[in-house]
Amino acid sequence: MASAERPPVILRSLDLRSRAIRLARKIRSDVVSLLDSYVERQGLDKNISLDGVDSMPTAAVEHWSELTEAERLGNNLKAYRIFQTLLAEVLEDQRTHLTPIDTNFHESIQSVMLQVSALASQLEELLMLLEHSVPAREEVEGTADSTSHSMFEKKLRGLKVLQELAQWSVRSVKDLHHVTKHSHSSSTVHVSHQ
Amino acid sequence: MPSGWSWVVHILYFLLSICCLRGAGALVQSCGYITPESPVLAIGSSFTAWCILNESCLDYGNIYASQIIWKTKRSVVPKEQYREINRTVSSVTFNDTSTLATPLTCNILADGHLEQNIYGIDVRLGLPPEKPENLSCIVHQTSRSRFSMNCTWNPGRATFLDTEFWLRTRWPQETFNDCKAAVVNNSCLIPDVQFFVNLEVWVEAKNDLGMMESEHLLFDPVDMVKPLPPQNLSVTSGILPTVLKLSWENRIIPAEMELKFNILYKISDSPDWMEVPPEDTASTRTSFTVQGLKPYTEYVFSLRCMKRDGLGYWSDRSEEKSGVTIEDRPSKGPPLWRKIDTSHSPASWTVHLMWKELDHYEANGIILHYEVTIKARSPLSRPLEKHSVNTTNLTLELPKGTYDVTVTAHNSVGSSPASVLLIPASNSKASVKNVRAAPHAGRLWVHWIAPNSHVAKYVIEWYEMSNNSSYVTEWQQEPGSSQSTFLKGDIKPFKCYQITVYPLYADGQGNGQSTKAYLKQDYPVKGPTIQTKKVGKTEAILTWKHLSVDDQNGFIKNYIIFYKTISGNETAAKVDPSKTEYTLSSLSSDTLYTVRMAAYTEVGGKSGPVFTFTTQKFGKGEIEAIVVPVCLAFLMSVLLGVLFFFNKRDLIKKYIWPNVPDPSKSNIAQWSPQAPAKHNFSSKDQMYPEGSFTDVSVVEIEADDKKSFSEQDLKPFDLLKKEKSTSEGHSSGIGGSSCMSSPRQSVSDSDEGESTQNTSSTVQYSTVVLNGYRDQIPSVQVFSRSESTQPLLDSEERSEDNLGDATSPRHQYFKQNCSQDETNPGESHFERAKQNTPPINEEDLVGLPPMQISGQSSQSYGFEPQKNMQEAALAGALFPSTEGQTVIPETLGINAATVEEMPKSYLPQTVRQGGYMPQ
Repeated sequence: MASAERPPVILRSLDLRSRAIRLARKIRSDVVSLLDSYVERQGLDKNISLDGVDSMPTAAVEHWSELTEAERLGNNLKAYRIFQTLLAEVLEDQRTHLTPIDTNFHESIQSVMLQVSALASQLEELLMLLEHSVPAREEVEGTADSTSHSMFEKKLRGLKVLQELAQWSVRSVKDLHHVTKHSHSSSTVHVSHQ
Repeated sequence: MPSGWSWVVHILYFLLSICCLRGAGALVQSCGYITPESPVLAIGSSFTAWCILNESCLDYGNIYASQIIWKTKRSVVPKEQYREINRTVSSVTFNDTSTLATPLTCNILADGHLEQNIYGIDVRLGLPPEKPENLSCIVHQTSRSRFSMNCTWNPGRATFLDTEFWLRTRWPQETFNDCKAAVVNNSCLIPDVQFFVNLEVWVEAKNDLGMMESEHLLFDPVDMVKPLPPQNLSVTSGILPTVLKLSWENRIIPAEMELKFNILYKISDSPDWMEVPPEDTASTRTSFTVQGLKPYTEYVFSLRCMKRDGLGYWSDRSEEKSGVTIEDRPSKGPPLWRKIDTSHSPASWTVHLMWKELDHYEANGIILHYEVTIKARSPLSRPLEKHSVNTTNLTLELPKGTYDVTVTAHNSVGSSPASVLLIPASNSKASVKNVRAAPHAGRLWVHWIAPNSHVAKYVIEWYEMSNNSSYVTEWQQEPGSSQSTFLKGDIKPFKCYQITVYPLYADGQGNGQSTKAYLKQDYPVKGPTIQTKKVGKTEAILTWKHLSVDDQNGFIKNYIIFYKTISGNETAAKVDPSKTEYTLSSLSSDTLYTVRMAAYTEVGGKSGPVFTFTTQKFGKGEIEAIVVPVCLAFLMSVLLGVLFFFNKRDLIKKYIWPNVPDPSKSNIAQWSPQAPAKHNFSSKDQMYPEGSFTDVSVVEIEADDKKSFSEQDLKPFDLLKKEKSTSEGHSSGIGGSSCMSSPRQSVSDSDEGESTQNTSSTVQYSTVVLNGYRDQIPSVQVFSRSESTQPLLDSEERSEDNLGDATSPRHQYFKQNCSQDETNPGESHFERAKQNTPPINEEDLVGLPPMQISGQSSQSYGFEPQKNMQEAALAGALFPSTEGQTVIPETLGINAATVEEMPKSYLPQTVRQGGYMPQ
């Protein structure tokens, strides 16, 4: 029974990984263009220092190659869940304070937000498909007092969110490729063992 | 007043009605209701409604369920559909609601048969929605990274109710807002879709009668994309003359999808698009080099794109852009032909070389000039001629002979291969056979049978035939393998074309073979003008001229001659087109005919002007048949008359034509008793029987002087008689001389014997003997007048007494005849004659006869009487009958014998002179 189901699962996981990679690339592409329009609309410099901005889920990680498949996918899922919340805050800031009438800009942010949400869904599905435990949802820190930030801080925060998201999208592509290679080899081994 | 009363009645009735209605209203409101309230029913379903009466009303108005009447709109529902549940509830059932009209009312028939409405409901009929089918979605790219999705479906049958269609979409973990089909019920637009996540899409249809859901589609929207077409297409020429490079911008990022392309191109003036092989453009790119193009040709390009894996839809085509390939050397030489004018000189030719401009795809650029070489073959020895010209013709004066001509076209890149034309001294090779031309598919198609030997190529010449002498010969070249072609040129309909096919061989040329053809034929412009050449009694020869080429509009298949009388039916006669004459036969005589002639092409005919003619009353020979017998009859009658005249001539002559004796037959010797031996009187008696002397006309001539008839004057008669005896039959003196010589002279000088003869010359009747001398009788005698004096003597002898009486009228008569010549110097002549009387013999025998023979007799003839008249006037008594014309009556008896010999010469003289009046 299990052997009969595995090939569709493998195909499905392959398809999911492929889609997740393409979606991560699309997020990367969209976020890059969104960054350009964000900097332009907010009157910021791309190279402005964002050290003072609240911490975000950082894409950089030590011993990246040593991470397991579940860790990789789990880290990605957690990061994108946070970005969903952060992007929602950024969009709200733009709608209510920064660019209330720039609906096209809002739609662009919302589009990225949707894609982040979709990627998170795909990662979640992939984790389940690969029979890994799905991390539980947790409240994103710092979102509660975001209203206390000044306008400029909101701008910088938005910029920081987009920059980190761009980096995460790159890491996600790498992670998913790694997972694909690994799962391909393991499934091959698994199939050969059978 | 009556109207006032009616108003009062109406008002009372109205107040009563209000009272009743109030009472009834209270009943309706409280006395019952219908359930279900405002139902929505499926068409065709069964339906039952209940009318429930309030208990309170039962006692108040004695109302029970048995009294309920159901009505749909205004129609009472049959009682069979009612059912009385109990005393307060009545139901009605409809097995098929399709005929149910709204509203449905519950009514009650109260006492007095007053129908009151208890309650009413509005029934809505319709259908539940069907399951939406054929759901499909297209994701349209709206901008660089924005996509909208439009989904369409088939909503199914009409429901007749308000039905909502909702397009629902969701991700596995997220449900999006539903899209309500607002404007139309079969499509909905989702403005923003995300890729790489499978989207579940379905349609829900819902109305009061139910809800239906379509099949759920699960797809990644990226697989349904119709991308925007590439933009900013540009075309640049490459190094090679057969390539062009295209560049463009894609409007979809590779992160979203990989693309493949479809590049279309065509020659700018061609309608047919070509396609770059799909396998060459199956990957994302922004440029492509198109190969295998024609040099110096403008191409138009357009391209479209779609997702590389083929899922989704092709984009619209991009804007068109054109580019021109660079030049290449001409691919072939220009078609070459010649026209030779030999009329200039027998030993040399005027050769008009002509060649056609190369087609665009052959020229491969702009032709800058042509180079022409002419090389003479032996026996001519001429150096190779080279010409460089910008035009497409060249005229040369060349000695007769065989030449090889080459033409090459040059553009900026190089020269074409040479076109070669052999101009032979004579077209001695085989010709093509059976050249035919006919219209085909709107063009003129020429076909011929090739000669047996190998033909290098053919040249087809043609020109439009016209009355206008200036025509332009066009030509085209065909390969030697072909046996038919279409004429490439402006071939006009309704014009006759003369088409000639020449075969060109490697070593010579054949004579041209020609044919004629029309691209399209029509009616002739006009009909032939007909006229008659000859009209007979029952036939007419008609003639006409052929129509000119310009008037024909097609090949004349035949002529038809229509002819009719004024009242008769028209008769038609078909005539071969080669004829120009036709004979109408079996016509009615003396009848007016109208005739016209129509010329027919294969399309139709056209009549010429009407011509009228009238047939003749009589046929050929009929007039002759009438006239000739009439003439013959007339001639016969004349002949008969003449015969009768001859038979009765004696009798007629007696009255009309009295016998005049011939003085020439008379002779003094015969008459004179002195010489009986010389004259045979017996013969004379036979000749002139006495009976012939019975009727004698006598003309009396009055003598002026009776004394002249003296004895002395008569003396000379002896001498005369003597002389006459020696010269019988000789006429020596005709009128002229007789008139010249006066008798008086003769008489006055009668000393000598010869002078006596002079007297005889005064007689006007004479016989001219051509060689009459000394008894030699000429073969032809011409009687002019007689100079015989015998009748005079005879008459004198017979009636001497009457002579004197006759002299007076005679003189008068002569004077009349000769009075016109009074100026004649007769007097002097007379006086001279008196003095010198010439011998009469000289005049008679020598002088006068020649005058008469020489034709001068007329002069002397007219002259004689005048002189004689004068003489007669002077001395008429001496010779009372000197004038022959006056016909001395006394001589008739003697001359009777000669009447038959010369009556005609005799009679006219008398008539003409007027001196003789037949009695």
